[in-house]
Formats: sequence, C-alpha cells, structure tokens
Amino acid sequence: MVFNPNAVNSAMFMIVVLVATAGLFVLLEAYFLAILQVLVYAGAVMVLFLFIIMLLDVDKGDDLKLGRRKLSLLARFFGVCLVAFLIFNSFSEVNLPSPDLGTVGDYPGIESGIDFSTSAKSFGLILFTKYMLPFQIIGFLLLIAMIGVIVISKKQKTAE
Amino acid sequence: MTIGINEFIIASSLLFLIGFMGVLLRRNTLIIYMSLELMLNAVNLALVAFSRFNQAMDGAIFVFFIMTVAAAEVAVGLAIIVMLFRKKQTVSVDELNQLKG
Amino acid sequence: MDILTILLIILFTPLVASLVIILIGKERRKWAPAIALLGSIGILISTTGLFLESQEFSYQYSWEWLSFGENTFYLGFVFDNIGATMLAMVSIVSLCITVFSMGYMSDDPARGRYFAGLSFFMFSMLGIILSSNLIMIFLFWELVGFSSYLLIGHYFDKNEARQASQKAFIVNRIGDFGFLIGIILTYWQFGTTNLEAIAGAVGVDASLISHLIGGLLICGFIGKSAQFPLHVWLPDAMAGPTPVSALIHAATMVAAGIYLLIRIDCLLTLEVLTFIAYLGTFVAVYAGFCAFAQKDIKRILAYSTLSQLGYMAAILGLGYSGIALFHLITHAFFKALLFLGAGAVIHACHHEQSIDKMGGLFKKMPITATSFIIGTLALCGVYGLSGFYSKDAILIAALDSNFQLFLLLILGAFLTAGYMGRLIWTVFLGKANSENADHAHEVSPIMSGPLIVLTLFAVLVGLNHYWPFGLGGIVSLDLDHLHHLEHYKSMHKTVLIWGSAAWIVGLLGSLLFYGRGSKADRLQDKAPKLYAFLESRLWMDELYAFYVNKIQQRLADILSFLDEVLLRGFIIRGGAGLVGVLGVGLRILQVGRLNAYYLWFFVGLILLWLYAAS
Repeated sequence: MVFNPNAVNSAMFMIVVLVATAGLFVLLEAYFLAILQVLVYAGAVMVLFLFIIMLLDVDKGDDLKLGRRKLSLLARFFGVCLVAFLIFNSFSEVNLPSPDLGTVGDYPGIESGIDFSTSAKSFGLILFTKYMLPFQIIGFLLLIAMIGVIVISKKQKTAE
Repeated sequence: MTIGINEFIIASSLLFLIGFMGVLLRRNTLIIYMSLELMLNAVNLALVAFSRFNQAMDGAIFVFFIMTVAAAEVAVGLAIIVMLFRKKQTVSVDELNQLKG
Repeated sequence: MDILTILLIILFTPLVASLVIILIGKERRKWAPAIALLGSIGILISTTGLFLESQEFSYQYSWEWLSFGENTFYLGFVFDNIGATMLAMVSIVSLCITVFSMGYMSDDPARGRYFAGLSFFMFSMLGIILSSNLIMIFLFWELVGFSSYLLIGHYFDKNEARQASQKAFIVNRIGDFGFLIGIILTYWQFGTTNLEAIAGAVGVDASLISHLIGGLLICGFIGKSAQFPLHVWLPDAMAGPTPVSALIHAATMVAAGIYLLIRIDCLLTLEVLTFIAYLGTFVAVYAGFCAFAQKDIKRILAYSTLSQLGYMAAILGLGYSGIALFHLITHAFFKALLFLGAGAVIHACHHEQSIDKMGGLFKKMPITATSFIIGTLALCGVYGLSGFYSKDAILIAALDSNFQLFLLLILGAFLTAGYMGRLIWTVFLGKANSENADHAHEVSPIMSGPLIVLTLFAVLVGLNHYWPFGLGGIVSLDLDHLHHLEHYKSMHKTVLIWGSAAWIVGLLGSLLFYGRGSKADRLQDKAPKLYAFLESRLWMDELYAFYVNKIQQRLADILSFLDEVLLRGFIIRGGAGLVGVLGVGLRILQVGRLNAYYLWFFVGLILLWLYAAS
C-alpha cells in the first residue's frame, strides 16, 4: 500500500488491510468490532478516500523510487506463500494454530460488569453505564466535525 | 502451537511501522492520511488484543471511540485537503511549505 | 425594618446614586444633580428613620470577610452615639451642599462627573462613620482620599487643580502609610481590629497599648486632618469647586481624622495624647498667622479650618474627646456655611477669588453677606452662637489642665477673629474694587436656601442639650464632667472674659487696621517682611520641594541607573538577545516539509521515551 505510486491502488490495498484486521478481530472474538471495522473503515472511510482521490484527480507519478520493485516482489512472494500455506492447510489434516483464549460468556450481566463478552449487548450496557459521558462527548464531537466540514467546504463568496 | 498475545502485538507493531513509514516517505497528502488511519488501526488491534486477553471490556470500548474519532477526523481532514487542492492545485506536501521559517 | 437594613440603605444610597450617574451615559448632565439630590435626601430620610427606629445607640454587626489561615478579618457596622451624631451632621451638611452645588455647578459642563464624585465622597465618609473595625475604616479612608482626589481635580484642565489633587493624594498617602502600619501592629498586638474588642482589651490590661501603635495610628489623622507637617495639601485643595471645599472642610475629609481619633481614643497613650494636644495648639496658632497673609477667600477659610482642627486636636489631646466631637459638629455647620457663602460670593463675582478685588458686597447680596457674617461670628465664638459653646468648653478644659495651652488657644481665638474680620470687612464693606464685584448680585434661591438653613444650624447647634434623639451623649458627658470641676464658675468667668475679649479685639482691631473694603493689604504695605514671612508659611512647601528635588531625586537617579543598566541592559536586552539567537537556531529546523516535521516529532518521541525509561 505504502509503496504503490497510484493512489487508487493504495486505497484498494488499504481496504484489504482493514478487512484483514477485521479478520484478526474475529479471531479475538470481538465480532461487533470486526463488523464495525468493515462497515466504518472499509465501507465509509475508504469510500470517502476514493471519492476524494477521484475528485482531485491526483497525478499518478509520485516520487518514491527507492527499492520499490524489490519490496513489492518480496511482498508478492510472501503473499503467494501465505495463500499456498492456507490452501494446503485447509485441505490437510493439520490444524491451524488457534489463539490461546480463555472462555467468555456471550451474554453480559449487570453483575459481571465490564468482563469481556462477545455479544454486542455488552457494548450497549457498558456504553450507557460506565462510559456514558465519553459517549455523549463523542456524539458531540461528531456533530462538531459535521458542522466543521460544512463550514470548511463552503465556497467563500469573495472567492467566486 | 498456540497464538498468544505476543503474536498480536507483533502484527500490530508491524502495521504501525508500515503506517509510520508511509507518513515519513510519501509526498501525497491523501496517502499520508491513509497511513495515519493505518496507524490508528494498528493501535486498535493492540487494544482489542489486550482487552481480550485481560477479559475486560474497556479496551474494546476504546476501540469503539477511536473508530468514531477517526471517522470524524477523516471527514474533516479530507475537507481540508479538498480546500487546499482548490487553492493550490496540488496535494503534494513538497509544495505545501509555507510554514518554512 | 431592622437597624442593619437601614444602615445598609444609608451606606449604599450615595454609592448607588453615584453609579447611576455614571451609567446613564449621555443624559448624565441633565439628570446628575437630581440623582445626587435624591441620594442625599435618601440619606437624610433614612437617617431620620434610623433615629426613630433605634431606641438606644448601641448596635454592632459584623460578618466574616476574608480568612487566611488562622487570621480572619471581619467587616462590620457599629452604630453608637458618636456615629449617630456624626451621621446626623454629615447627612444634613451634605444635603445642603448638594443643593448648593445644583446652583453653583449649573453651568459646568462636567456636572455628571462632579455629582458622581460628590455622592461617592458621601459614601466613603458614611463608610468611615459606620465601620466597626480599623481595616474597614482604612478601606473607606482610602476611598475618601480617592474621591477627594477626583473632586479637587475637577477642573483638571487647570494645572493648579491637577497638581493640587495630586498633592492632596500623595500627602495623604504618607500619613496613611503610617496608619496602615499602625493597623497591622494593632492587629498583631490585639489579634483583632474591632474597636470595641480593642477597647475591652485595653480596659482589662492598660499595658497593651504602646507609644508606637498610638504614634503610627495618628499619622493617618495627621494626614487626613491636615495637621502639621502634612498640612500642605489643604490650602492647595482649594483649587477644587467651592462646594467640594465645603464638603472636605466641614463634613467629611478633615472631620474623618478627628473622628478616627475619637474612635481610637483608647489606643492612645498619655504621651501621644499630650503630643496631639501640643500639635493641635501649634497648628491652631500657626494656621491663624498664615491666614493673614492669604488673599484668596477660600485659602483664608482653609487656614481657618486648619486652625479649628488644631482646636479639636488640642482638646482631644487633653482627654475630652466628647468636646472634640462637639466642636467638630458645630464647626462643620458654620464652616460649611462659610464655604458655601464664599462659594456664593465667588459665583456672584464670576469666579473672582481674591478678596482685594471684592468689596461692598453687603448691599449687593444681603442674604449671603448676613449668613456669612453670622458664620464668622459663630467661628469667632461670639456669645450665643454655636461656636461659642464648643470653643468655650475647649478653653475651660485647657485652662483647667494646661495654662500654656490655654494662652496659646486664646491667641488662636484672637487670630481667628482677626483674619475673619479682615475677610468680612474687606469683602462686604466699602466699595467694589473690581468690575466683577461691581456687577455682583444676589445668588438664586437654590444657593441661598442652603445658606439660610446652615445659618440656622450654625446659630442653634451649640445648644447640645436640645439635640433630638439623645444625640451627642458623649458630648453631654464630657461637658457635665467639665461643669463639675472644682473651680468651674471662676474658670467660666475667666474664659468668658478672655474669649469675648479675643473676638472683640480681633474684629475691631482688624476693622481699624484694614479699613472697609480696602483695595490693598495694609499689612503688606506697612510690614512687607512680616507679610512675606507669614506668606511663606514656615517654608514647608519649599522644604518638601527641597527634599523631593535634592534628596529623593538623587535616590531616584540611582535607582534609575540600576534600572537602565541592570534591568534594561542586562536582563531585558540579554533575554531578548538569547531568544533571538534561539530563534535563529530554531529557524533552521523549520524546513517547511511535512515529512521532516514528522521525523522531528519521532525523534522527540524517542527522547521522551528515553527520559521516561531512564
């Protein structure tokens, strides 16, 4: 992603990275966050990036020359190896290593408080109890950001 | 063989380094921006891992907040970039050097 | 209403009036006199209400103001007999002066500022009267100084007024500095500044008081009441509008000094009191002489005030604080009358203040002249008028305790009659000596009204047994003490003879010497050296000028040199140079490339981490 001269390609690779991170979240049993990751980052943020890239029509030629070819070759090599390893694993008897996780419940109780749990309900519970104030502030921050963006992108009359 | 917290930390650090190098090496503002997002993501990953291995919810909640802030940040940042582009017809940081002393 | 509410109303009415005048903006020229008048009337009404409401005069209120660690300071009101008497005097006199000002200042463009200052002045004075502890007195004491500065400098486009206001302010600061240290020492010694608590403590253990505390506290009195050697501001303060002079001289500022002495009576040792007595007597005589060499009608009255303040200080030093209060009250009325009369004369003569240029005004302005002459007679202590009663008491007390003082005070009375005689013969009799005086005519009723009212008071206020509401209890107490002295009868006779002789000789002598409505000063013609000596007023102003120019200026030069070299040359220039070099260095870092900044940020982060890790 970093070494690709084309911004659109960079963005595409970025999406791949984000989805892969979401996969890691799944491995960590944080299903809600994984979904959020895909929806917010891969969905909203990256689409925004792509739009802007298209809108601005940035020149393709960038400056970064050093060792790009070798690095991307290395990356491709690792990628191919990984895919081959995965395919080999899924068709063989050998099991993939699994994360060493303790067991967690899937339903948050009021008593259990802030213990980790896989269900989305636990988010709601904790957001509206312990983290009530930050939650409100975050909401307000979003509002501010929205207003700010509107103000910034408004064309000034004198400029016209 | 099992995967412990170390592996997740290493993955997170790698992602962070990639993002860091991106910011350091690239000249395109948009890509610098994406790299910033990547770093945020790396932090998210570390936080979720800690949270999971500590059996506590707080880290996950923080990830939630970071996501929200990142979304807001992207919106504002991109708006600024668009305005910059309108004014200067470029997004390369080489030409955005008015702060030079 | 309870007493506290009324006290608060009395105190804050003039402040509110003053603020309203300031805040109404452009309309203030039109409305300021009315608002100030309403304020004064409000004070008078609420004071009357207070007297009707309160059965006996002993109220104390206090509440916490500040506390640092173990030290707590209180604000508080005291309303006792002394305060009540003062309150009555101040409210009546200030109402008269406000009314008079409405006429006197009618053509002044800065009326708003004037009336705001006048109301503020009353507020400060009422604050001093009602304060129950030294710190609060000091607060209002300074406010009095500040408002006098405002009012004396009312005509700030005139250099003389500007300098006079600064002089008054600075000279007062010198006294107040001693006063402040005295307050601190008092607090240190007694652990409180509440006057009643201090009086109680002194009553239990008289060894608590010391010369030092007493001496420092009276510094405030010396400054504010214009006693020697800090008297120099008072004659110059005549640069302000005449009603202000009346207010300063009669009801507020100089009276505040005496009032303070009456309040802190218990803190003064015998030696300090004796010092005050001699100081007062000296001032009484000294100011009397000085007044002969003045030509400005207001300055003559100013020296007369100095001399009368000397009387008050003298009697207070002899231990009769009640009689001092008595003289303060009577003096307030006739001196206000005299100043307002002088104001009327000046107003009629188109702001001509020199008595040489007046003359023959009796026929032109009979009401003013009559009231002025009655005021003069009261001042001289003519039998039956208010001044007589208080002066008589002072002289009897002096005769009883110290014969030298008595002789000097008689001399003072003689001088008083002399210069006042000179004043009235020159101003009111004979022929007009200038065009302005020729065109003078009687002032409007709004100005003569207060004169008449004050004349009534100047005549009647000496009958202290008829004061309503039992005011002046302390006065009666001291007078009774005087009446029961052993040789009261014979002393009274002696004083009566000497006192009457003093004013008769003084008035007649001045009439014979100066003649009626004379154009030039005869003393100046006959004995120019003597006149010049008197005019120089013991060279106090020159002495101060010498001190300031030669001694203080040297010190200031040294300090200025240090300032130039050390502060400006080394610290300021050096600091600026250092920052400049740093700036040049830091500028190199500002390469203007985002990636570079990012790298710096990273380096900083690593350094921070190293620091945190080590």
